[in-house]
Amino acid sequence: MSHTVLVCDDAIFMRTMISDILAQAGFEVVGEAESGAQAVEKYRSLKPDLVTMDIVMPDMGGIEAVREICKDDPEAKILMCSAMGQQALVVEAIQAGAKDFVVKPFQPSRVLEAVQRVLG
Amino acid sequence: MDLSKYAGLFLAESREHLSGCNQLLLMWEREPANRDAVGGLFRSIHTIKGMGATMGFTGVAELAHRLESLLDAIRQERVTVESGTFQLLFRAVDALGEAVEEAAAGRERAPDPALVAALDRATGQAGATPAGPAPPPRRRATDTPRARSVQVIIRADAVMRGARAVLAVRRAESLGRVGAVRPPLVQLEREEFDGRLAFRIESAATEDELAAAIRTAGEIEAVRFEEPAPVDGTAGGRRQIRVDLNRLDRLMKQVGELVVARSRLGVLAGQSDDPALAELSDRMSRLVSGIQTEVIAARMTPVGDVFERFPRLVRDLSRDLGKRIRFDVEGEEIELDRSILDEIGDPLLHLIRNAADHGIESPEVRERAGKPPEGRILLAAARERNSVVLRVSDDGRGIDRAAVLARARRDDPARGEAEALSDDALLRVIARPGFSTAQAVSGVSGRGVGVDVAMTRVRQLGGTLEIRSDLGKGTTFLIRVPLTLAIVRALLADAGGERYALPLAYVAETVEFDPRAVTALRSREALVVREQVIPTVHLRDLVASRERPAPSRRPTVILEVGERRTALVVDALVGQQDIVVAPFDAPRGMPPYVGGATILADGAPALVLDAAALR
Amino acid sequence: MADSPTLHAVIFRIGALNCAAPAGIVREILPRLDATRIPGVGQAVEGLVNVRGTLLTVLDGHVLLQQPRREEDEGAIIVVEVGGRRYGLGVGQVVDFLEVPAHAVAERAELPGIDPRLVKAVGIRDGAHFIVLDIDALVAPIIGS
Repeated sequence: MSHTVLVCDDAIFMRTMISDILAQAGFEVVGEAESGAQAVEKYRSLKPDLVTMDIVMPDMGGIEAVREICKDDPEAKILMCSAMGQQALVVEAIQAGAKDFVVKPFQPSRVLEAVQRVLG
Repeated sequence: MDLSKYAGLFLAESREHLSGCNQLLLMWEREPANRDAVGGLFRSIHTIKGMGATMGFTGVAELAHRLESLLDAIRQERVTVESGTFQLLFRAVDALGEAVEEAAAGRERAPDPALVAALDRATGQAGATPAGPAPPPRRRATDTPRARSVQVIIRADAVMRGARAVLAVRRAESLGRVGAVRPPLVQLEREEFDGRLAFRIESAATEDELAAAIRTAGEIEAVRFEEPAPVDGTAGGRRQIRVDLNRLDRLMKQVGELVVARSRLGVLAGQSDDPALAELSDRMSRLVSGIQTEVIAARMTPVGDVFERFPRLVRDLSRDLGKRIRFDVEGEEIELDRSILDEIGDPLLHLIRNAADHGIESPEVRERAGKPPEGRILLAAARERNSVVLRVSDDGRGIDRAAVLARARRDDPARGEAEALSDDALLRVIARPGFSTAQAVSGVSGRGVGVDVAMTRVRQLGGTLEIRSDLGKGTTFLIRVPLTLAIVRALLADAGGERYALPLAYVAETVEFDPRAVTALRSREALVVREQVIPTVHLRDLVASRERPAPSRRPTVILEVGERRTALVVDALVGQQDIVVAPFDAPRGMPPYVGGATILADGAPALVLDAAALR
Repeated sequence: MADSPTLHAVIFRIGALNCAAPAGIVREILPRLDATRIPGVGQAVEGLVNVRGTLLTVLDGHVLLQQPRREEDEGAIIVVEVGGRRYGLGVGQVVDFLEVPAHAVAERAELPGIDPRLVKAVGIRDGAHFIVLDIDALVAPIIGS
């Protein structure tokens, strides 16, 4: 059985790209969210094995979403997706409970490596 | 880059590691099946190798590398440990010690080719061993958390290496308590982080488990472990820095002078009517006391620092002498002023050598005497009031008093047919320079030089040496030294108008001299104090004071050195004071009961009496 | 100054004797100070004095040279350095600091009332003899090993 993934990003382009990379690698993308609030809500309903989370999103940012999700499920496996120059935010996300991160522009191989690490 | 300024640090740290290696080797040799020591040895040698290479000391690095390879092979059980292995390891650690000293002194040279070859041969066993199924890696006892220093290197091509480092820390935190993260978090958030992360972790996990967990942070180039830097391991993790001992000595000296000046200020303030001056003097006094306490505390060092070199000594001695000797140490944590500790090593060395050489018998002799073939030497430290007692005991043959007496008479025909020697008298005889009863003068403790050298050194420290010996059962030497040399609390006594200082460390109590309580003990005047008969010494008579008749009421100070007591009758007690024992050039013929001199609060010099010599 | 060697010396009096100590070994001249007696070491040692927080062993020049003390003398301590150690020498009166041409000083000579071994040289000043003391020889029997 393949792992289920929830992809959170406010840009459709990014969601599509991430979904493609993961689907090609055999993951099952079970949902998408375009805001932090949505991400929290969908995590509760879908219980995915993995979440990819953009940092900067409207209506509750990615970091806040990580905090909320980890409050319910400390073992939640969240992979942060960040842009260059957001190191401080990534660190904050890690402190909040994110398990790993990838930096845009994405290289598929790095994304998959990170996913493998997060899923152990 | 100029590395010379790191040479001192290199030397100090290498010495620490090497000393630790000796300890570990001894421990391991005692229980060859227990491999706990191997990891520590490996890490220490590895550290020395790294430091040596960094300093450009290729000889050190090379020798360390060969030794490390052998240890690694042993650790991974590719090489079996034989009796000769320990000999080789000891030899290599010694050689590495020499190489380190030489290199630090600017005399780097290539390691001894014979030793290198021997190490390689021992390691090379591995190649000959058929590659059977690999033995399961040994796991160390994992129940108790151990503190370790961890170094993590993030791959150079990784993006956001700082955030990666934070992840690594988080991963480590899942297995234990993490502290001392360097660089600190705020710097990790910026881009200047160079990819080298270090932290301490207290964890029950094995190093392999820790490394695996840390590696799940991703983009990790390397994870390394080191024994933690000598940061105080006690709860709360106090922070420490290294301080040059000379600086501490100067500080102590200044504090000593401050203490004297404070006393002087107290006297002046007492003579003045100005309440503000009195108040200031009081305040100064409290502040100075505080500083004094702190400085003394900063100088206190556990005696274990000196003790640690002896197990190796005894081991080597027992091998050279063909004896079996077990060496035990107690009270390593007892603390002494560093300046005393530095001086105490030599006397202990002499006494331990003596015990191994003259005390412990050969296994055959012991068995004939119904003793276990393995002799025992115990080195123990204990705190006793304001002094520390160091004990060197052996369960060997004891000192033959008759032989000592016969020898003493031969040296000194004028010596009367004295009765059996008391312990005190025995010590006086054997502590004479050059005295020996050894049947064969072995190279080990020479012609009995041990005891007289030890005695002299201990006395110079304001300490005392005692002996107890039972023929056939063993001998014990007791060294008693003050906790600190620098500042001593003293009782001031007057005799014939002269003031003498008595270190409080040896004052048991003061009583009133009661002529009705005077009795005689072995034809000496003695005083009965609480049903105990204590020999008396009249200070006036001792110092041949010519002034004034003795007062009718005379206080008596009961001095206690070990179990021996002396009642010192004085004219008056004139107070207590912190004194700094000051050096001076003693004129010839100065009596042994003068232990030193000091400057009193009013500026006048006074002599300090040596309680041990007042008898 | 090979062509005109001179002797710098501190001139002082102990009892009836005019003495000199080479300036090279004199470190300091102190007024008379009360000394703390050291028992058992003999009369030639006056005792210990406190010189600005440092202890100094003072020898009694009058006893060493067997000279009577004079009532009118103020007393002084000449601090000398011998073999790396400092000692005080208690004297009756410090008289002068002199620069004498070397030819005015003769090698050891017999003088009445003083052990010749303590005399390093004899000089003349204002028509009177003075003794250049051999301080090493003077303190040697007193100082410890």
